[in-house]
Amino acid sequence: MQKGYVFKRILYAIFIFFIVMTLNFFIPRIGVTDPAERYYPPQGNMSEIEYDIIKQVTREQYGFDVSTFQQYLNYVEKLSRFDLGTSFKSGSPKVSDLIAQRLPWTLVLSVTNLIICLSIGISLGSIAAWKRGRWQDTALLNASTISTALPGFFIALILSFYLGFELELFPAYTNPNMISQFDWSFEAIKVVIANAALPIISMSIGGIISYAQGTRNSVIAVTNEDFILTARSKGLSQRQVLYKHTLRNAMLPIVTSIGMSISGLIGGAVIIEQIFNWNGMGTLFLEANSTNDYPLMMGVMLFMSSFAIVANLVTELCYSLLDPRVTVGERR
Amino acid sequence: MKDLMLKVRNLKVIFPNQMGVLKAVEGIDFDIPKGKCVAIVGESGCGKSVTSLAVMKLLNSPPAMVRVDELVLDGADLKDYTDQMMQEVRGKQISMIFQDAMTALNPVMTIGKQIDEVFIRHGKMDKGEARIATIKALELVGVPEPKSRANQFPHQLSGGMRQRVLIAMAFACMPKLIIADEPTTALDVTIQAQVLDVLSDMQKKHEVSLLLITHDLSVVANMADTIYVMYSGKIVEKAKVRELFLHPHHPYTIGLLGSIPKLSDEVHKFVQIPDAVPHPMFKPTGCYFHPRCSHSTLKCSQVMPPLKTLLNGREIRCFHPQNVVDFEEVAHE
Repeated sequence: MQKGYVFKRILYAIFIFFIVMTLNFFIPRIGVTDPAERYYPPQGNMSEIEYDIIKQVTREQYGFDVSTFQQYLNYVEKLSRFDLGTSFKSGSPKVSDLIAQRLPWTLVLSVTNLIICLSIGISLGSIAAWKRGRWQDTALLNASTISTALPGFFIALILSFYLGFELELFPAYTNPNMISQFDWSFEAIKVVIANAALPIISMSIGGIISYAQGTRNSVIAVTNEDFILTARSKGLSQRQVLYKHTLRNAMLPIVTSIGMSISGLIGGAVIIEQIFNWNGMGTLFLEANSTNDYPLMMGVMLFMSSFAIVANLVTELCYSLLDPRVTVGERR
Repeated sequence: MKDLMLKVRNLKVIFPNQMGVLKAVEGIDFDIPKGKCVAIVGESGCGKSVTSLAVMKLLNSPPAMVRVDELVLDGADLKDYTDQMMQEVRGKQISMIFQDAMTALNPVMTIGKQIDEVFIRHGKMDKGEARIATIKALELVGVPEPKSRANQFPHQLSGGMRQRVLIAMAFACMPKLIIADEPTTALDVTIQAQVLDVLSDMQKKHEVSLLLITHDLSVVANMADTIYVMYSGKIVEKAKVRELFLHPHHPYTIGLLGSIPKLSDEVHKFVQIPDAVPHPMFKPTGCYFHPRCSHSTLKCSQVMPPLKTLLNGREIRCFHPQNVVDFEEVAHE
């Protein structure tokens, strides 16, 4: 991997970040009501002048009294100090504090989900490729047809209803106290696991199957490559061919999808979090959205997209380590 | 027959599928004497490559079904060898050079590592020793700066260099037999000549037997001692290279030779064989070549001609052989 390539990729990521940051600033400002009016609706006994003063004070307080461009400059200047601003919520909590509070809870779901999807999905896919055309393979094909037709939130609703309400095996939705009262005690951890089970199951079914399908197709494609025949003609055993030649090549497309999954770790579970009342980043974003909480909305979006940019960068660099052909275009 | 490196008797390869049975190779016999180069020549789709893979026992079953009466390599019959036993043979006693070196090399592995594997597998060497041997092997096939080349990936080499790498890999453990399946088809003509030179030098110097599979008679002319002409899964003619070029007997061989462009072709167009090899699922009755043959008669369309041996050892499968010289009278019917 050449240094020039790495440098170029990093510059590119920074460029993307600036575009995202700018869009992130302007999009919420298109066609939305004045946040001051949204937060302090005119009261019946209030005169026009009094209300104007209140609005003016609110605008000054949140920095809306200057031109949009000036607001943008202020925003960038604050960001350069890693200040995401303060939320409109009561008590004016800092946006970064809110994110820091919710982030671990989202990661509990999404990281566990990703680990499950990768380990089970890739093994199932390899088995299906190995047993190509037999029942294991056919089963995977049918499962993937069905799971494409069943979105995660649908599975979530079904699970929540049957396993949660009807059979009462798992909590059907999460008590918000679980998060506010979490104290690392054994009991608390047990409660978290019980509550996380259903969301994770409903998220992972689709992921497992799509990773399995991807792995299967990739392994089969590589198995038909000429260099596998070369490897076998050298007298290597099936196992040596599989580990040294097939899997390494078959992993390349999988790495791309892992990268995409990682970039979705933070924002990918909005609906599932909502269904199970799981107070993570997804619910935080929805709250911000429904209350026109600009700074919070922007903060969460910027955080999600920066995370995705970094994840993509890392994936690309990993990919070029795995596949020496990738950097060639840059040099010639 | 002690001087035979490879003796193949009645090799059949079929691919059963839902539509019926695809007969790729229909009972062919051939011999490769020690230290000689034997060529199997034919159009695409005649079963050449399947034959070479069948000798290595590299055809996946299913879908392929292979039957052979004898597959004797230097006295050992490989017919009943399991895949595990074949792993000892492959790379050590028989090795293979494939057609397209771009796809025949693993794109994410340095070429050095790919050659090292052969030495580590069969030469009982550790990684360091294997690399020294690899560099030597690359030097033998004329790869410049073998030491630094060994650390390069296939895409960083030119087509000719890649093919040399494949040759180095095949010769790594100095096997008894090397099968070269269209070794130069993917190359430019100038590079083709260089690579053939290397291959031919290596074969002669190390007295390795070579089975050359190709559709290109000009390649064969310079390298092979004996030629088998294959058509639609059957051997149709066998002859020494000189005899075949001077007196081709089978109308198909005549067509193949006629389709090589010559300078004199300015005057008359070169001969084409009409149509293509029949689809292996829908072969004609009688002689498989009769629909394309200008000498065919009613008999040709009804009966498959047997493979007859002529007095001078040539073999031919045809009712109407051409250019037969007097002393070559048919030995037996």
